[in-house]
Amino acid sequence: MELPPALEKKFQTLLDRYPIKRSALVPMALYGQDAFGFVSEDLIAEIARRLDLNTLQVRETLEYYSMIRFKPVGKYHVQVCTNVSCMLRGANAVYEFIQKKLEIGHKEVSADGMFSLEEVECIGACTGAPAMQVNYDYYEGLTPPRVNQLLDQLDKERTPPVSAPISRAIHERHPAEVPVISRLFGVPDSHKLEVYLKNDGYKGLAHAIELSPEQIVDEVKKSNLRGRGGAGFSTGMKWSFVPKESAKPKYILCNADESEPGTCKDRPLLELAPHQVLEGMVIAGRAVGAHRGYIYIRGEYRYVLDIVDAAIEEAYAGGYLGKNILGSGFDFDLSTHSGAGAYECGEESALMESLEGKRGYPRIRPPFPAVVGLYGSPTVINNVETLSSVPAILRQGAEWYAGLGSAKNGGTRLFCISGHVNRPGIYELPMGFNLKRMIEEVAGGVLDGKKLKAVIPGGSSCPLLKAEEIDIPMDFDSLAKAGSMLGSGGVVVIDETTCMVDLARRIMHFYAHESCGWCIPCREGTSWIRKMLDRFHGGGGRSEDIPLLGELAQNMLGKTFCPLGDAAAMPTISIVKKWRHEFEEHLTGRCPYQPADVLAAAR
Amino acid sequence: MADTEITFKIDDHELTVAPGTLVIEAARRKGIGIPSFCYYPGLALQAACRMCLVEVEKAPKLQTACTLVAMNGMVVRTDTPPVHQARKSMLEFLLSNHPLDCPVCDKGGECELQDMTFRYGAEHSRFVEEKLHTPEVKWSNLVYYDAPRCILCFRCVRVCDEGMNVKALGVGQRGVHSVIIPNQEDHLECEECGMCIDICPVGALTSGTYRYRTRPWEMAYVSTVCAHCSNGCKTTLSVRNHEILRANNRDLSGFNNEFLCVKGRFGFDFTRHPDRLRLPMLRRNGKLQPSTWEEALEEVAARLARAREQNGPDAVGFYGSNHTTNEENYLLARIARAAIGTNNVDHHRTADYAGLVTALSKSAGDASSGTIFATMRDLAAAPAFLLIGNDATVQNPLVAWQIRTAMRLHGARLYVVDSRNIKLKRQAKLSLAVAPGKEGAAIAELANGSWSSAEAQALGAALASESDLTVLFGAALYGAALGHLAKLAEARSAEGKRTRFMALGDYANSRGAADMGLLPDRLPGYASIEDAQARELYAKLWGAPISAKPGLTAREMLDGAIAGRVKALYVVGANPAKTLGLAGADRLGKLDLLVVHDLFLSETAQLADVVLPALSAYEKDGTMTNTAGEIQLVRKGGDFMGPRSDFDILRILSHQLARHGVGQAIRLRTPEAAFDEIRQQVAGYDVSWASLLTGAAEPSSPLVVLNGHAPRDFAPGTILSADDSLFTSGSLTRYCNMIQSLREAEAQP
Repeated sequence: MELPPALEKKFQTLLDRYPIKRSALVPMALYGQDAFGFVSEDLIAEIARRLDLNTLQVRETLEYYSMIRFKPVGKYHVQVCTNVSCMLRGANAVYEFIQKKLEIGHKEVSADGMFSLEEVECIGACTGAPAMQVNYDYYEGLTPPRVNQLLDQLDKERTPPVSAPISRAIHERHPAEVPVISRLFGVPDSHKLEVYLKNDGYKGLAHAIELSPEQIVDEVKKSNLRGRGGAGFSTGMKWSFVPKESAKPKYILCNADESEPGTCKDRPLLELAPHQVLEGMVIAGRAVGAHRGYIYIRGEYRYVLDIVDAAIEEAYAGGYLGKNILGSGFDFDLSTHSGAGAYECGEESALMESLEGKRGYPRIRPPFPAVVGLYGSPTVINNVETLSSVPAILRQGAEWYAGLGSAKNGGTRLFCISGHVNRPGIYELPMGFNLKRMIEEVAGGVLDGKKLKAVIPGGSSCPLLKAEEIDIPMDFDSLAKAGSMLGSGGVVVIDETTCMVDLARRIMHFYAHESCGWCIPCREGTSWIRKMLDRFHGGGGRSEDIPLLGELAQNMLGKTFCPLGDAAAMPTISIVKKWRHEFEEHLTGRCPYQPADVLAAAR
Repeated sequence: MADTEITFKIDDHELTVAPGTLVIEAARRKGIGIPSFCYYPGLALQAACRMCLVEVEKAPKLQTACTLVAMNGMVVRTDTPPVHQARKSMLEFLLSNHPLDCPVCDKGGECELQDMTFRYGAEHSRFVEEKLHTPEVKWSNLVYYDAPRCILCFRCVRVCDEGMNVKALGVGQRGVHSVIIPNQEDHLECEECGMCIDICPVGALTSGTYRYRTRPWEMAYVSTVCAHCSNGCKTTLSVRNHEILRANNRDLSGFNNEFLCVKGRFGFDFTRHPDRLRLPMLRRNGKLQPSTWEEALEEVAARLARAREQNGPDAVGFYGSNHTTNEENYLLARIARAAIGTNNVDHHRTADYAGLVTALSKSAGDASSGTIFATMRDLAAAPAFLLIGNDATVQNPLVAWQIRTAMRLHGARLYVVDSRNIKLKRQAKLSLAVAPGKEGAAIAELANGSWSSAEAQALGAALASESDLTVLFGAALYGAALGHLAKLAEARSAEGKRTRFMALGDYANSRGAADMGLLPDRLPGYASIEDAQARELYAKLWGAPISAKPGLTAREMLDGAIAGRVKALYVVGANPAKTLGLAGADRLGKLDLLVVHDLFLSETAQLADVVLPALSAYEKDGTMTNTAGEIQLVRKGGDFMGPRSDFDILRILSHQLARHGVGQAIRLRTPEAAFDEIRQQVAGYDVSWASLLTGAAEPSSPLVVLNGHAPRDFAPGTILSADDSLFTSGSLTRYCNMIQSLREAEAQP
């Protein structure tokens, strides 16, 4: 198959990037799709040929990823997010408006081939909700009139300017904010090396080089930095699990597969301060003796990937990557890797499978990644925000960092406050900051003065809090004590007008869509509960369904292969338990919160 | 120091196991059932079905017993309310989208999902939503996939990839829409082994030969040996009203465990092919006419007697079979040598078993028998293989499976010497490409340490580093070349390294034909015809002196027939006319008499004067010996009206011949009686009958102690593999309609 020269070059670069050819599979398909509009049988055969695979291996891998298309789409592929944060801000109306205007439905293409439409899961623009992507471009703060205008412009082949600033990451600082990792947000050209250097860039690395690897790990341990991806595990501890001696090369992975609904902090971190992440990764490499790193960026963040690639190029040129970094004798190579639409790949072992060019199924543990990770080698995998926090710790000291937060919860955190608040946005606040203050003061209180009903404290996988439960410090331990989780920092605020059955339904749609299908309870459980909630919210509920919902979720909880099953079960259990009366109200056959004609149809 | 054993508790039992043992295995060995779908011994661990969740003391949540390695002091509980609840809920989840079409599903009655639901599941369903449905798809004439029934245990995907190294199956889509997908988008191109069908715990994969034909409880099950290649796989025939409807090895009997190739699993329908011969036929007025057994056997006896009288015993030749039982071969050897009095007895030889036995017998004094011949079971755990001149994947599928198993589970190394680009080269550590026919020269280099190429030298060095090597070779190595192998083994033995051998022949009883003396220069048990003591033994046993003059080889007999030196030729279960390209001729040379036993009117049978319809290996009792020299019971599964077993035909013939004053009637009334005589008289066959009855494979030990002969060299072509494809086994598979219908079978040359 003849490839356009640019694609040919891209394929060559990809082949050089990995120790195992197959790793290039998904990025090749995605770039190929960008060039041809879809992944054809010919392209599958071509990729198979180049990677020494059979076509089945290529096809089965690609079928896993929701961004890969095997049929052409429109010139403008309109992807509307209807996940929780967007739904709360009117995404369903936007989606329905587009359907009517373009006269096409989900995954359909307009007759003239100009437009295609897809209802998608969280695209990481929660604080700018409702949002959509047209091809790879983001448009936020949508309303039917604004969408109308956007589509008209596109129809005239004019590309309307994309949304800025990024999901309200840049805004006037609230006095309670402590800008550490977001300190460059709003600084012009903050993604450039020159600007980063002017703002103490790579000083953490310079300091790290003077320390022994053990000292770096100790410093990070002392800082009480805990994993920002959601689990909250001590970062220093994680690094210390990597064996000192290893016959195989070690790896540093940056998990930038941000997909937890309600969470959109990694996108601005990569877009506005890419060097900060790179610096954190080099320091991590130095700490554990790794010389190779990859940043796994979710496929939807294509423009971010280009920014990070440019930053990597600059860092190589500046001597911050590559051989003999800053004259230390330490070598570290780094590249990006693109996902292609799979929430499950945010799970660390699934991410590694995915990076190896396979279906993103999680792995059996033990062994753990610190010992057997990417390519069977010792691997450190950290979230973007975690790694972004590392340079400041090295630069300003562990004690300083630990002191910013609460006990055992060091530093600051980017909280993405979305949903029904007056000032949604991404705010950097100290760990342990009070949730009630966060909503009422920082985010300006509940939208339009309505009453608060519920809060998702850290992404849609967390058990929900009732309005009276929010006077609580936002750190890992306090949230756990309150029966929920700090999770990924996605705070979703839900007001009194929201139907909790509908919310549970939408949440379960997400997990059913994202369940990888590996294990029975998650694969079948999410699908069953989704169908039940569709029926229930649509007026077909039976009283026995209410306890059954809880039971089914309990039957998933703790029994699935990976945490995705738990993530689906926990919010469900909490909603059924805390808002049981709303389910009972639905037994009359109608939703008390929405007139029947606006009930979103089951997808 | 690592512990040498682990002691832990499951329920109230204290167990002691080897380090690394999985809890599920330890439990099952103790008789504690832990259910599972995705766990399958020998295949990669999945922990996907979550059926094996157990409680472990101090663990915060239930653990999968299939991935849990037993540790000292561990306390596991399999019989608690949370465990029961977990199993019940997994089954409830599984059944939510399962079609519950059990009444018409092939698997109904032998379905693991049914059984587990019966044992562990709930009695009623709470699922009231719409089930997912996709139509069933036909992947090939043999393999059908019904996605709704699929529980996604991925056994099929793993067995195809890890077990077969074919990778024809994968997983498509995601989440609840996940399905198994075939390699050619909408259809399957593979070795059609059907492993995926039999390993499927439910009715998601069904076979073209069996689907919707019967219910499992309507059939009888007969465990016997596959009728096709020489590997001797156990196959269990599912029989209804004497008709074989299915062959599989789901009872995991025999050394092949779950393995069968396409022929073993689907190549049984020849038994009911419409062209099957039912009546004996006699040539009258130049045409073969239906006749009766009485008339036909009398005619054969009379004319054989006449040929012997008129032209002497050596004007008669016997051409034996690779497919008949040991007992039948033994009877044929006896009729030839004792009744007629000729050593003109041979068969289509596809491996030089006699040569191997002879070559290794020289050093037999210090090697205890059995240690130098590898068994099929040995292969699965052998650390290193040298495969010479045989495309085992195609010609010896079980051998290839065993090699792959050893590589996968024990990290074994494979070295290949072959002129072709065989599939196993993909997994070989080193391969030496040689010109066709130069395999023997390559082995001479290895034995002598004189190298003609850097590649050969590298192979020599690699083999020298192997302390336990199993050498497997096909028809390319025979005669004097086997002396090199013996030399190699001796040299290795001197260095304390072990070497085991296996000759790879073509057909189900190729080995047994040689073992039973269907060779012009060997008596049963490989004693040389020049060995007076051995001759004396059989003369006494068979009631007639045995000639010391080596007879004609198979090819010489046919040449003799054409030239007129051989006047009568008696062919059992073979088709030499096809081999020699004589099909369609009026006569096979200048023969006065051609007798053929066969299932079908083969090219040879078409030339015959008398055709005697025979039963197939699936329709009779007896024993067969696989290429490794392992003896197994053959048991009657199907039946077919009209034909008789070769055993009965030969036994009755001996009586008829005796009436004509030729030899003595054979008084061995049953194959069992004949085998009893074989056990007592034939060197190396003194194996346990009780053990055979249990279904075991008993290795024969055919070392010739007194011999002194170097392996005899032959005219080229004496040892000749038919180079069957994966989809053929001589003339038999022509009558296997299902196999013939496969696109892969068509694609074969």
